[in-house]
Amino acid sequence: MALADFLTRLDQLQSDAVSSLASAEDNEGVEAARIQFLGAKNGQFKTVQKLLGGIDKSDKPVAGKRLNEVKQAIQVALDAATQRVSDESTDQIDPTFDPTLPGTRPTIGHVHPITQTIDHLTEIMGRMGFEVVEGPEVEDPFHNFIALNIPEDHPARDPLDNFYLATGETSSQREDREGGRLLRSQTSTVQIRVMQERQPPIRVISLGRVYRPDAPDATHFPMFHQMEGLFVDQHVTMANLKTVLRIFANSYLGEDVRIRFRPSFFPFTEPSVEVDFWWNGAWIEFGGAGMVDPNVFEAVGYDPETVSGFAFGLGVERLCMRRHGITDIRDLYSGDLRFLQQF
Amino acid sequence: MLVSWKWLSRYVDLTLPHDALVDRLSLSGLNHEGSQQVGDNTVIDLEVTSNRGDCLGHIGVAREIAVLTEQRLKIPTVEYQPSSQSVAQELSVDNQFIEACPRFTARVIRGVTIAPSPSWMQEALQSIGITPINNVVDVTNYVMMETGQPLHAFDRSQIKGDKLIVRAATKGEQLEAIDHRTYDLVTSDCVIADESQPLSIAGIMGGSTSEVTDSTTDLIIEVALFTPLVIRRTARRLKLHSPSSFRFERRTDPVGVDWVSRRACQLITQLAGGHIDDGILDSQPEPSPPTVVALRHDRMTKCLGREIATSQMQRILSGLGCSIAPNENAENVHQCTVPSWRHDLTREIDLIEEVARIDGYDQIPEDSPIPIIPSSKRVFDVAVSRARTVLTSAGFSEAMTPSVVTEDLDRLVSPWSEIDALQTRTAMLVGSKRLRRSLIPSLVQSRAANFASASVHANLFEIAHVYLPPVASDQSGLPTERYHLGFIAGDAFFDIKGIAETLFQRLGISGLSVQPSDINGFARGGCVTLHLDDDLIGVMGVLSRDVIASFKCPGPVTVAEVWLDAMVERAQLVPQQQPVSPFPAISRDINLVLPESVRWIQLATIIRAEGGDRLTDLAYQETYRNQKQDGDDRKRILFSMQLQSHHETLSGDDADAIVNRIVDRCESELNAVLKR
Repeated sequence: MALADFLTRLDQLQSDAVSSLASAEDNEGVEAARIQFLGAKNGQFKTVQKLLGGIDKSDKPVAGKRLNEVKQAIQVALDAATQRVSDESTDQIDPTFDPTLPGTRPTIGHVHPITQTIDHLTEIMGRMGFEVVEGPEVEDPFHNFIALNIPEDHPARDPLDNFYLATGETSSQREDREGGRLLRSQTSTVQIRVMQERQPPIRVISLGRVYRPDAPDATHFPMFHQMEGLFVDQHVTMANLKTVLRIFANSYLGEDVRIRFRPSFFPFTEPSVEVDFWWNGAWIEFGGAGMVDPNVFEAVGYDPETVSGFAFGLGVERLCMRRHGITDIRDLYSGDLRFLQQF
Repeated sequence: MLVSWKWLSRYVDLTLPHDALVDRLSLSGLNHEGSQQVGDNTVIDLEVTSNRGDCLGHIGVAREIAVLTEQRLKIPTVEYQPSSQSVAQELSVDNQFIEACPRFTARVIRGVTIAPSPSWMQEALQSIGITPINNVVDVTNYVMMETGQPLHAFDRSQIKGDKLIVRAATKGEQLEAIDHRTYDLVTSDCVIADESQPLSIAGIMGGSTSEVTDSTTDLIIEVALFTPLVIRRTARRLKLHSPSSFRFERRTDPVGVDWVSRRACQLITQLAGGHIDDGILDSQPEPSPPTVVALRHDRMTKCLGREIATSQMQRILSGLGCSIAPNENAENVHQCTVPSWRHDLTREIDLIEEVARIDGYDQIPEDSPIPIIPSSKRVFDVAVSRARTVLTSAGFSEAMTPSVVTEDLDRLVSPWSEIDALQTRTAMLVGSKRLRRSLIPSLVQSRAANFASASVHANLFEIAHVYLPPVASDQSGLPTERYHLGFIAGDAFFDIKGIAETLFQRLGISGLSVQPSDINGFARGGCVTLHLDDDLIGVMGVLSRDVIASFKCPGPVTVAEVWLDAMVERAQLVPQQQPVSPFPAISRDINLVLPESVRWIQLATIIRAEGGDRLTDLAYQETYRNQKQDGDDRKRILFSMQLQSHHETLSGDDADAIVNRIVDRCESELNAVLKR
């Protein structure tokens, strides 16, 4: 066969294959064209390839080169056609597909609302430079009472107001007496530990579980959480205390929230105040505060003439419940998913 | 503390309307609890803090109002003509229990006529909820509610002998009180007695035998001081809380005792006639000297963050009963003599509080910020927050459960300690006295409760302290408190284990070793312990059927508990970038026939040792068994390895060499056969 004829056959093959593939409308059409032109047994390319044997030996390099070019061109056309028809087929969605059906949601757990509240509180106080500290929940009388200026005859030591631990030789007649180790009744115990370990300036908040023997009802539970703040430095004033709590209230509850102090009595602060926030049209009691009592400073080895400080304690549950509209404190400790899933 | 508007008006002119007055009182320390109209009178309920026993009488409240409204306090004058009979000839007092009774006084009145009180007296008592009895008893109640100092009238004729004895109760002693109930006394109780028997439970309640009756003619009037702790312990033990015990628990005025005694005698003779013996029996006639406190004006300014004028300070303190003199040696220092009824004022800071609260806390500035300082989140909080993210991402919700559990719950599972749990004396919730040693029992209980309320698949976690009891040699007696993380799910051992593995990975902790263990409460063979270095750091497994059966909860249940503090200690929370190899990786799937007894951990140990740093991934695929081909007690384990070098393109021959070494060791050490 003459080289010119062979090349003409090739040109014709390429032109036929490319136009045939370009006009194929779907997968079947492309596949039919593929078999027609590139089929392994009876494809037209195979047929033309066989003719190569009849080409004059001196013309073979030219013929072979052209043969490869045509094969590649057809392959490119095939790839393009395959891509094109597959794009078209995904564009066409099954008409029964209903995109308005609800989505498949991942199962993601919920963080407890008390944890969320604590995170929020620590974040606000953190911006004012207060770092989190913790201490043990089971305390000795020194940290829970003595160092906090609560002497032995103080009613705060009453066994009716504390969870004293049973000792080995517990007999029922000792039950009415003040005991030794106890589940802490306040997080102020941590203040003592921090001051014993560090020197001023101190700016910390302690958070954690505290325990008091209240019968459980909608607003009481024998276990709850407190956030206690302590600031000790050389010139700390009651005006600083009021300012920090006002900024806290504005950050947590809103710019329009006001703050009020009412005199109170806590053994470990003097002066002592109750802190009220004016929120949604009413004064709401949020916790206690005051200037650290000189006796507390002396108990930890500070000189009350050279350092001063303030402390405050807020009930975490109360803040959490107000914020989330929770009406029964017992729900917080129920472990009930119907409750937990809402947060 | 209930106070009557009319009654208060006897001591101070009430110049403010009711609402303004109670508001002022609330903002200066006497919190307004409510008010009630009784006839043409208003009764106000005020909360008195435990340090302010002086405000448990009308005069004390009137003093507060007087200083707040800048009015004069009007204290009644007490005048009477005593008879020629001396009380000391009639009676003596023997105080044998000074720790319980620092001061005991008595006066005698003869020839009274018991009758109903006049209407002004009856109205006054009724307005604050006290039922009038007769003129003598009413006076004792009236004077108590006037001054805050309790007192007691004995019928002289019912007292044997001529001596009143203040003493500790004897063992087995009993007393019938005026409520006609009989109380068993113990030796820490204080009683007032005659020579034959106790007459009253000191400071709490009188006895029925010496009670004033219609036929009483001669009286002994007791006004005494009793120690708060003694009164509180007795009142608590006897469950006998009276207006008298309430006041003694908050301390009464040690100096005012004599005035109260004379005031009562004056009113009794006015209402019931009779003659008052001359003099007083007093176990402590010399009161201790008054407290003098130096108040530095600049100290007050430094504490409050605002300056209060000296004149205002002086007006407030003298209005509260202090007498003030300038300090001779220092300028702007004031020597304040504190009134005897204010036992709570002993130091400069106490006086600063008095001035500040009367001046008004609304005057304290709230625009006095503290300086900024560097601060950061604790490593622990960063790590725990990351742990929470892992758990919630895995679909677990956070629970918080009580730290104190019942004995049954405590005994269920205790992987961390075999020492008996510490216990509280009183139960925190029904039957719950034990400080939990593990979070697992609480989580099982929660899961079961959720099942009962139709949340069938309650996958929960909790982060809280456990309280590991001290060993016997630990003198402190305090438990080791550790933060643990526990989580619970259903039939999903490998899900739970995968979460634990992810947790360790996300906290950047490596080197975890896992050992099959037998732990009480877990199904045999279904439990592993996790170890880091030499520490037991976690437990996980399928709970035993016994444990699950104690709850109405469908099994199986899988739990895990890890020791968070120890994990945080080893956590690498700031990940460091590792180079990614630019060279291609080669995958190899291997199928080994192994004896049943071989554990994956044994296999993996060999693979990792031989793979070295070129083993970039080892993935377990599956286990299956083909008894016909492989025989009894044999299993096939299929796993995939990814091999890659950081320095060169690994060839197929390199990969085969590694695979061959692994297979060789498995054949010789694990009795394995390679399936091709």
